[in-house]
Amino acid sequence: MSKKPSTGPISLHKVIMVGSGGVGKSALTLQFMYDEFVEDYEPTKADSYRKKVVLDGEEVQIDILDTAGQEDYAAIRDNYFRSGEGFLCVFSITDDESFQATQEFREQILRVKNDENIPFLLVGNKCDLNDKRKVPLSECQARAQQWGGVPYVETSAKTRENVDKVFFDLMREIRSRKTEDSTKASGRAKDKSKRRKLKCTLL
Amino acid sequence: MDLEKFANEKFNGDDYVKHLVKEMVAGSELSEFRKQLTTEKEGVSNLLKKKVFENYSQFIETAREISHLESEMYQLSHLLVDQRNLIEQIKEESLLDDQKNIIGDNTESNDNDQDQNKKALSIIKDALIGYNKSLDEKVFLHEGSLIELDPNDYRPICRSHLFLFNDILIIAKIKHDKKLEFTNEYETKKIAVVNIRELTGVKNAINIITNDGNRIYQTINAAARTEWIEKFEATLKFNQSTSSVPAKSKKGPAPQPPKVLQKQRSSVETQSICSDMTLSPTASIATENLAPEWLISAPEEIQAEIAQRHFEDSLHLIQKCDDYIQKNPSFYNINEIQEKIKNLKTILSSVLLHELSIAECRDLQSVLRSSRRLLKLLVEMGKSRESSTIFLKVCTTTIRTSQRQARRNNLPVSELFFCDLAQVASDFLRAFQKQSACTAALTVWCNDELQYFSQQLIKHYLTKGTNLETVAKVVVSVREPCLELTKIGLDLSSHMEGLWRVTLEQLIDESRHRLIENIGRTEEIWQPYNLISKSNLRVLVKELNAMGIDMNEHVTGDTFINLTQSTVNFCRHFLSVTESCAIIGRNSVLKPDCEKLLRDLFVTQHNIKPSLTQQNVDLNFVAKNKAYTVDVLLEKAISNFEEKSEHKCILLTELKNQLKAPKPKPRNVYNVNV
Repeated sequence: MSKKPSTGPISLHKVIMVGSGGVGKSALTLQFMYDEFVEDYEPTKADSYRKKVVLDGEEVQIDILDTAGQEDYAAIRDNYFRSGEGFLCVFSITDDESFQATQEFREQILRVKNDENIPFLLVGNKCDLNDKRKVPLSECQARAQQWGGVPYVETSAKTRENVDKVFFDLMREIRSRKTEDSTKASGRAKDKSKRRKLKCTLL
Repeated sequence: MDLEKFANEKFNGDDYVKHLVKEMVAGSELSEFRKQLTTEKEGVSNLLKKKVFENYSQFIETAREISHLESEMYQLSHLLVDQRNLIEQIKEESLLDDQKNIIGDNTESNDNDQDQNKKALSIIKDALIGYNKSLDEKVFLHEGSLIELDPNDYRPICRSHLFLFNDILIIAKIKHDKKLEFTNEYETKKIAVVNIRELTGVKNAINIITNDGNRIYQTINAAARTEWIEKFEATLKFNQSTSSVPAKSKKGPAPQPPKVLQKQRSSVETQSICSDMTLSPTASIATENLAPEWLISAPEEIQAEIAQRHFEDSLHLIQKCDDYIQKNPSFYNINEIQEKIKNLKTILSSVLLHELSIAECRDLQSVLRSSRRLLKLLVEMGKSRESSTIFLKVCTTTIRTSQRQARRNNLPVSELFFCDLAQVASDFLRAFQKQSACTAALTVWCNDELQYFSQQLIKHYLTKGTNLETVAKVVVSVREPCLELTKIGLDLSSHMEGLWRVTLEQLIDESRHRLIENIGRTEEIWQPYNLISKSNLRVLVKELNAMGIDMNEHVTGDTFINLTQSTVNFCRHFLSVTESCAIIGRNSVLKPDCEKLLRDLFVTQHNIKPSLTQQNVDLNFVAKNKAYTVDVLLEKAISNFEEKSEHKCILLTELKNQLKAPKPKPRNVYNVNV
C-alpha cells in the first residue's frame, strides 16, 4: 500500500492487471489507453501507464500496472501486488487453464493485500471468440459468486466490448473504498477490525 | 502652396479663413483658392493612403520576420535541451570513470573475474558514505546515476546513484560535492521493476516497487532504461537459481555474474554457427553476415538527426534501415539493431506528435502550415490515427479562439467559421487521403464543431426577442458559406438546419405573436392618407415603387393618397416581413411556420373594422382599402415570397382565393364565405 497519501488535487487510482500469460491483459490495457487493438503478441515484463479520465464527472488519474503473466515472474508478483488498490483478474474464455489459474491469483492477492474486500473484478476476455469458448459462463459466474460476489464481466479487447466498463467499474470501487476508509479512519475503528478478519484469524 | 502653416501647432481654421477673406478681393478669387485647397486636400489624402499602405505592408513584413524568429528560437531551445542532455551524460560518465574502467575490465577476462568483482566492491565501498555492512560475497551487476521523480506527478526530486548487486539494491544520494551518501538498501527479492510507458507524461522512467512504496527513477535514454530492466531481471534469475540450489554456494566461490554467463553462451552460439558455416558450401557468408558499417552507425545518426530536427532525413534513414533488415534478415546482432531502430521510431513519432500538439495559440493559417510537414511524416510512419486526433484537437482550439475574437470584433463569424472549416477539411483530406478511418474522424469532428458553432450562434445572435429581419440576416450569413462547402464535398447544410430548427421555430412563433399584437395598437381613422407636403408624397411613392408597389393611381390631390395611412404602412411592413420570411423559409421545414406568420399577420390586418363608436366612416372607402390589400399587396407578397424562397407559397395563395372568390362586400368578408 502506498505510504504517501495523494496530496495532489487529482486522485490517483492504482489498478493492476493480473492473469496468466497471453490472456490479453496488455491488449485490454492498450485498448483502454490508446483505443487500439494490438494484434501481435509480445510477452509483457511489467509496464505501467497513466491516463487522466473523467469518472462520473470528476477528473481522476488511473495508473495501470500491466504485469507479466509468465511463470518466470511468479516470485516477484507479491512485490507488484503490494502497490495495487484494485485488481482486474483476467482470463481467456477460450482457455480453461487460464481460468483455473485465476484461483491462484485471487489467493495471492488476498494474501498480499490481507483484505477480502479489495476492489476486484473477474474479467473473461476474448468474448468475441464465443464459438471457441472453453469456460462456460455459468462456471465463471459461480466462481465470482464464490469469491464473495465479485463482479464478473466478459470483455473483448478486439471489439472494445466492456473495456471501458471494467476499468471504470473498478475505479468506482476503488474510489468508494477510499472514501469509506477515510470516513472510517476518522470515525470508529470497529468496522475496520471486521474487514481485517483474515488478518486476525491468521494471527 | 505652403503647407507648413497647416502643420503649425497654432494654426486656427477660423483665423485663417478670416485672413483669406480679408486678402482676397473677389469671390472668383476665393473660389479659385478653394479649388486649389481641394486639390491639395486630395493630394494629401492620397499621400496619406499610400503611407498607411506602406506602413501596413511594413508591419506585415515585420510580423513575418518575427514569426520566423520565433520558430528559430524554438529550434534553438530544442537544440539546447539536447545539448544539455548530452553534457549531463558525459558528466555522469566522467564522475565514475575509474570504477567504470575496472568494471569494464571485468568482462574482458574471465580468469581474474572474481578479483575484479572484489575490486569493484571495494571501490564502491569506499565511494559510499554511511554504508557499514559488508559487501563481500556479493556480485556486482550494474550501477548508474538516475534522477528520482515524485511518484505522484513525476517531478524530479533529486539525483541518485544506484548500485545493483545480485541480492541487494543500494540507493545513494549524489551530494553537491559529488560524493555518494547511502540512503537505502533493498533486497532484490522484495522489489519489482516496472517500465513506465511513454506518453504517460514521463520519458525513460522505471518504477521500482519496494516494500515502502514506489520509487520512480528516470534514466538518460531508452537504452539505459532497457539495460536497467534487464539487470533487474538478471537478479530474478539469480534468486531463482540460488533458491533451487539452497545455500550450497555460500562457502564456495561467489556465483558468477550472469553477464559473463550470457557472454559465454553467446560465444558458444556464434561458435556453433561458425562451425555450421564451415560445413556448408557457402562459407564466405560468415563474413558477409556482419551488418554494413552505415547500418551500425545508423541509430546514432538518426538520434542526431532528430535532435537537430531534421525529421525528414531521420525518417528516411529509418526506412532505409528497415528496408535493409527486411531484405537481409540474418546478420550479426540484427535483433539489437532492430530494437534500436524500433525505439528510435517511437521516439521520432512522439517528438513529431508533441510538435504537432503545441501548434496552439496561433492563427489557423500558421497552424495548418506548420502541421503539413509533420502530418506528412507521421502518415508515412503509419501514425495517421494519433496524428489526426491531435491535429483536429489543435484545430478545434484555434477555430474556437478565432471565433471568439471575431465575435468581439464584430466580424462575420459564420463566414469565417465555414472558411476555417473548409481549410481544415481540405488540409486534412490532403494529409490523410488514403485513410478512410480518418475521414470518418473528420466527419465526426465537423459535426462536433458545427454543433458547437450553432450553440454559440444561437447564444450570441439568435437570442429570444431577436427581430425577424436580423434573424433572416443571420440565416443568410450561415446558409451561403455553408452551401459553399459542398464544393469540396462537405454537405453540412441539413445538419445545420437541424441544429437551429427549434430555435428558429421559436423565434418565428414569437415574432408572429409580437407582430400581430402590434397591428391593433394604432387606431384606424379611415381617412385618406395626408402627407402634408408634395415632397413627402414623392419620397413615399418612390419608396413604395422600389418595393414593387405602384401608388401613382391612388394619389389624389397634391398631398393625398386615397388609402388609409395604416394600409400604406402595412404594405411596407408586410413586404419587408415577407422578405425575411421568404429567406428563412427557403428551408422547407421552416416554410410552413413562415407562411403561417404571414397569413396570420395579413388576416389580422384584414379583419380590422371600423368600431361602432366611430362615426362618419365611409364604408366604401373601407372596402376599397380591403380590396387593395387583397388584390395588390397579397399578390405582390406571394410573388415576392415565391421568388425569394424558391418554393410555392401555399397558405397565402389559399388565403387569396378565399378572400377573392366572391365579390367582397364592404363588411365582414368571412361571413360571406361561410
